[in-house]
Amino acid sequence: MTLRVGKTAPDFEASAYENGEIRKIKLTDYRGQWVMLYFYPGDFTFV
Amino acid sequence: MVLAVSVDSPYTHKVWSEGELSQIVPGGLPFPMLSDPGGRIGTEYLVYDEENGVDIRGRFLIDPDGVLQALEILAPAVGRNVQEMIRQVKACAYVRENQGEATPAGWEPGKKTLKPSPELSGKVCEIWSPEMAF
Repeated sequence: MTLRVGKTAPDFEASAYENGEIRKIKLTDYRGQWVMLYFYPGDFTFV
Repeated sequence: MVLAVSVDSPYTHKVWSEGELSQIVPGGLPFPMLSDPGGRIGTEYLVYDEENGVDIRGRFLIDPDGVLQALEILAPAVGRNVQEMIRQVKACAYVRENQGEATPAGWEPGKKTLKPSPELSGKVCEIWSPEMAF
C-alpha cells in the first residue's frame, strides 16, 4: 500500500499493552477518531 | 488517540510502563503501546531501520476516515517537538471542519485562515505577511 498524505494509511494488527492488559489492536478499530501513530526506537530510551 | 509503536514485546512495554513510566506519568500512559516485532508495521511506514532492528522516530497523523494527513520522520539523534505536533492536529482538524479554508504558515488556533480562490492568487501578501510565520 502507498504511504502518502491524502491516501488511506496502511492498516495493521498488533499486540498492545494498556492498563495491565495485553490485547490485539487494529488501525481500523479507530475509525471516527483522530489517531497519532507514534513510532519510537525502544522502551527505556528517551522518546 | 495516540498509538505508540516499538519493536519491543508487550511484556517489555508492561515492565517499562509499570516501572519507570509510572513514576513520570502517574497511573501510567493513557494510551496503548503496540508491539512491532521484526518491524513489520515500521516497514510499511518507512521507519524500520533493518541494521539496528528498530523503528526510528516517525509519527503519522491519521484522520477519522483513516486517511493520512501529516507525517514526520526524524534522524535517530534528533528529538521531537510536541507543540508542533499538537499544532498540526489542530490545523488538520480545523480544515476538516471548515472546508474551503486553509491555514497559512505559522497558523495557530484563533489566527486568520485563507480561503484559496482565483481572486486570492497574487493577493496573499495583502492579508498574510512573513512575520506571521513565526
